[in-house]
Amino acid sequence: MSVKTEVKNDLTVCCIEGEIDINTAPDIKKAFEKLISKKTPKIVINLTKVTYVDSSGLATLVEILKNMRAYGGRMRLCNMAHKIKSLFEITKLEKLFEIIADEAEAISTFI
Amino acid sequence: MLSLDRSESLMNRQSDTGKRSVKIPSEIRHIRGVSSGILKWLEPRKLDDSRLFDIRLCVEEVLRNAITHGNDNDKELSVQVSYWLEGDSLVIEVEDQGKGFDAGKVPDPTIDKNLMKGSGRGVYLVRKLMDKMEFNDRGNRVRLTKYLK
Repeated sequence: MSVKTEVKNDLTVCCIEGEIDINTAPDIKKAFEKLISKKTPKIVINLTKVTYVDSSGLATLVEILKNMRAYGGRMRLCNMAHKIKSLFEITKLEKLFEIIADEAEAISTFI
Repeated sequence: MLSLDRSESLMNRQSDTGKRSVKIPSEIRHIRGVSSGILKWLEPRKLDDSRLFDIRLCVEEVLRNAITHGNDNDKELSVQVSYWLEGDSLVIEVEDQGKGFDAGKVPDPTIDKNLMKGSGRGVYLVRKLMDKMEFNDRGNRVRLTKYLK
């Protein structure tokens, strides 16, 4: 699992590669702690290269969102595989997250 | 330490009835090996990726519950996994050595006030992605059934 971060104008794009599960959750939390401590206002998380997410992975993303909201930050998820999106639908987390089809749209419409 | 020979405990055993079983110590790091073993065993069935994803996810969720909630991460305790085919169904049984778990008491993670909570989604996902999820009376053994056709 890796998290690659790129700053694009006023927002930060994070590409996660690999699996987001109970094994990788601590490393993902650590990667985002740095951005959260700097109160990064807008983060787009690109999930193109994420092949698997379990309930710990979902909980990790919820925690990142919660921590960002605490200082008024906003997060968007994009390029999610159909199967992973279905987990957000089943758990109703689609109501909590801004889920955008692709990165270009997630960036251009992030006001 | 748990009185299991590690290499033997992690090896799948097959009974005459085709039922396979594996016993693992209560450590998260063993979960992936069990799910991979089940998926490999299912390879001849040529299941689609979506179904394989569901099976992996559900096996890993119930194993995690057995290790962390059932056995309270006690490495001295083990988790027994058995799996077999019944007609066109895959049956997976996971048993821990804990006091038991009342799945009925897990709050619904999909209601608005619980959406931000960190736990409760594992059991919910298993219920949705498997065709059946049944517990024994004590609550330390769960049986999952997934139709494969």
